[in-house]
Amino acid sequence: MKFIGLTFLVVLVVGIINPFFPFWIVMICIGVVSALIGLPGFVSFLAGAIGMGLVWVGQSFYLSIYSGSDLPQMMSELIGVGSGMTLVAITGVLGFIIGGLSAWSGSALRSALKPTPDNIYKG
Amino acid sequence: MKYISLIVSLILSIGFAVLISRPIDSVPPLAGLLDPNHGFWQNTLSEDQIAEDEIDLENLSAPVKVIYDEDLIPHVFAENELDLYRAQGYITAQHRLWQMEFQTHAAAGRLSEIVGPVAIELDRMNRRKGLAFGAEKGLAGMSSQPEVEAILEAFSDGVNQYINSLSSATLPVEYKILNYRPEPWTPYKSALLLKYMADMLMGDADLQFSNLRKILGQEMVDKLFPYFPEDNDPVIEAERVWAFEPIEIQAPDSTTYPDDLLVLDPLPAPEPGIGSNNWAVAGSKTKSGRPILANDPHLGLNLPSIWYSMQLTTPEHSVKGATLPGAIGVISGFNENIAWGVTNATKDARDWYKITFKDESRRQYKFGEEWRDTEFRIEEIKVKGQESFIDTVVYTHYGPVVYDKTFRSDRQDVNFSLKWTAHDESQEVKTFILMNKAKNHDDYNAALDNYIAPPQNFVFAAKDGDIAMRIQGKFPVKWEGQGRFFMDGADPLMDWQAYIPFDQNASTLNPERGFVSSANQHPVDPSYPYFVWDRSYEHYRNRRLNNQLRQMNDITVDDMKALQFDDYYLHAAEALPVMMELLDESKFDSDDAKKYIQELKSWDFYADPNQKAPTLFYIWWDKVDDEVWKEWYAWDAPITTPNNYQMVSLMKNEPDSEIFDHGNTENVENASTHVNAGFESMLARMAEWEAEEGDYSWANYKRTSVRHLVPQFESFSVSNVYTGGGRGILNATSERHGASWRMVVELGEQPNAYGIYPGGQSGNPGSRFYSNMINRWSKGEYIDFSLRSVEDTQEALFTTTLN
Repeated sequence: MKFIGLTFLVVLVVGIINPFFPFWIVMICIGVVSALIGLPGFVSFLAGAIGMGLVWVGQSFYLSIYSGSDLPQMMSELIGVGSGMTLVAITGVLGFIIGGLSAWSGSALRSALKPTPDNIYKG
Repeated sequence: MKYISLIVSLILSIGFAVLISRPIDSVPPLAGLLDPNHGFWQNTLSEDQIAEDEIDLENLSAPVKVIYDEDLIPHVFAENELDLYRAQGYITAQHRLWQMEFQTHAAAGRLSEIVGPVAIELDRMNRRKGLAFGAEKGLAGMSSQPEVEAILEAFSDGVNQYINSLSSATLPVEYKILNYRPEPWTPYKSALLLKYMADMLMGDADLQFSNLRKILGQEMVDKLFPYFPEDNDPVIEAERVWAFEPIEIQAPDSTTYPDDLLVLDPLPAPEPGIGSNNWAVAGSKTKSGRPILANDPHLGLNLPSIWYSMQLTTPEHSVKGATLPGAIGVISGFNENIAWGVTNATKDARDWYKITFKDESRRQYKFGEEWRDTEFRIEEIKVKGQESFIDTVVYTHYGPVVYDKTFRSDRQDVNFSLKWTAHDESQEVKTFILMNKAKNHDDYNAALDNYIAPPQNFVFAAKDGDIAMRIQGKFPVKWEGQGRFFMDGADPLMDWQAYIPFDQNASTLNPERGFVSSANQHPVDPSYPYFVWDRSYEHYRNRRLNNQLRQMNDITVDDMKALQFDDYYLHAAEALPVMMELLDESKFDSDDAKKYIQELKSWDFYADPNQKAPTLFYIWWDKVDDEVWKEWYAWDAPITTPNNYQMVSLMKNEPDSEIFDHGNTENVENASTHVNAGFESMLARMAEWEAEEGDYSWANYKRTSVRHLVPQFESFSVSNVYTGGGRGILNATSERHGASWRMVVELGEQPNAYGIYPGGQSGNPGSRFYSNMINRWSKGEYIDFSLRSVEDTQEALFTTTLN
């Protein structure tokens, strides 16, 4: 449940923050959200990755359909990769890695800051 | 353990973030390019999808309304001129910012800053030609007039307000790919743009002629390159009587030219066959009784298009037509009262002088009896990813020493200075500001009195019935032959001694024949009292155009459109019968050869896109040319060959002339030898083409393409445009050049106007307005270019108010 929650939060963060700020600000925000939720590292990675990957795929796919522009195709020829849809996929993968790494870092930060549980049973 | 996880995750995160924020070789930062919110995805949106009802534009005295028509042509309604040009700057930048900056960077010799060391050679050349130097002088001239300066400042302010409003999302995609940002616009850049045009339109062949003279001797050069052709059909009608006292200059008693064979790399010259048409017909020849004006400048076919269409309106005037992004006002267009258009009027405005320096230091050079001081201009060329390249250019009173020991020459003693009218102070901006609101022939002349370079044939028609043509530019008075060859800069008589007064520039008003026209041909008849020469004059389009205009009556706008799209191949019509006569058909009995001969014989000489014969003729002629001048091409020096017209004339009238005989062979060659050998080569070429490509119809062979300004951005170009025409044809569309703008205007109570250009209003390759006119242009179709009123928002794409 928390996994879906974090994924959803990442989607929100990317959707709201990214239009106004560059990707590295988005990375920090995802890290903070992930630290607040506090899921284990790998689960956080997955939630962040899926969240941001989805948004980036969604946005780039939506823009190419909505605009009807040939630019994705032109860009893919310029870069030398398949088609415009290949670029949607590459954009998604980039978002996936950025989101994943950020969320993982957030989670790792929380673990590192969390006091060692040993003391709980003392006294 | 928990710290290890943190450290690893942070290193990976930060490392990845850095990796995708930096360029790797020529690959731009991936994050900036692919981020859907900031990268190229944002450039997929067309202008109507991101249209705003209101935009803040500071420093306006009143709101400016902009109505875009369905092709994204802005119709700008301002209360006064300053508001108008401020808005022009803003709107042009909205659609063409990257192009404006790129072209001025090119002229300034600053492309290396953007693309790196590959452009150093080009940058050095543009600086050595003195384009930036000329722009500085040009700007000084413009700034000396407060009203012009204020307009230039307003325009720049408009551009800069747009630049400042840019976000990483709205930045043009080329900046994202090449990874740089726009810098502020200045009036200096508007001046640079005019030099960019001057450079595109002016060339010379002094180097090539100097070599020919050295190899062939003056007599042969005179025979092969006569000053006037037999069928001279000049811009100003031959009957024109010149009623003025010309300025006299002193010619040298004996002309001795520097006599070296010059193995230099010549500067790139304008493409042969590049040029333009314009004409106006008087009401006496039109069906409506009103004058009609037409203009189609032929330039390189590029994207974003060299032209950008606008209507610019104040309460005092309303002008519409083609603007040059970065320049003030409309360059070829019309208003309620008049219409005007331009074609290039070359008249050898560039000359070269051999400089004799006193010593190695190059601080002084010889001029007559004295030693004059030089000036040094240090050119720092910034290079992306490298240290700057420092070039020192020596200036004499003639101009920059372009060729010297450091540039395009292996020899220590080679020093040539370039003299060029584009280096002079000028007022071109004022010309267009005045022309935009001109009401009659007097206003037109007053506007042109400010115009220096690049020289143009300005055609004119007015509502009151006047039609006119004036060849305007700053032209030196030359003694016969001056400027054909490299000259000795130490001899003052070789220098330009005076300029032709503007009122003695060739012009005509309401000639009896009922039309005026120009197609880059000889400007005048030999009776004009000044020496006129250029090697690049047109010999075909002008005669076709004038022949048609002479015989046409009851002319309509549609007739004029058809004439702009006329595919009649006059060169072929004159050359092919001669070639057929010289061809020994019995030697070629293969089926293919018979088929080709049949196709050529039944040809009507129209180079329409579906015709096959133009391809056959084109290749055959090319091969014959190769055969005839084989020996010349083998010389290890830059030369030029006689033009097509002269060559046809030689083949026809002197087929056994010694010029056709190659000295190094046993046999005696004549024109027929070359025609037959050319046919043989054509068969080989055609066999190759048919095997590889199959269809050899003209459009498929010619493959007209409209290319993005950065040649590497192949996918931003439009290739294989299906259209006819070619060099020397009124529809002058060749592989990479052609009608960059077509306009036909019928003056009257309301001007009835049509226009089109091969591109689109938007400079954004992602926009649906980037290349949307190309298809219509290729079929000879036009867009309705009538003036709009501020109330007329019918079929508007969208409307924006700047305030």
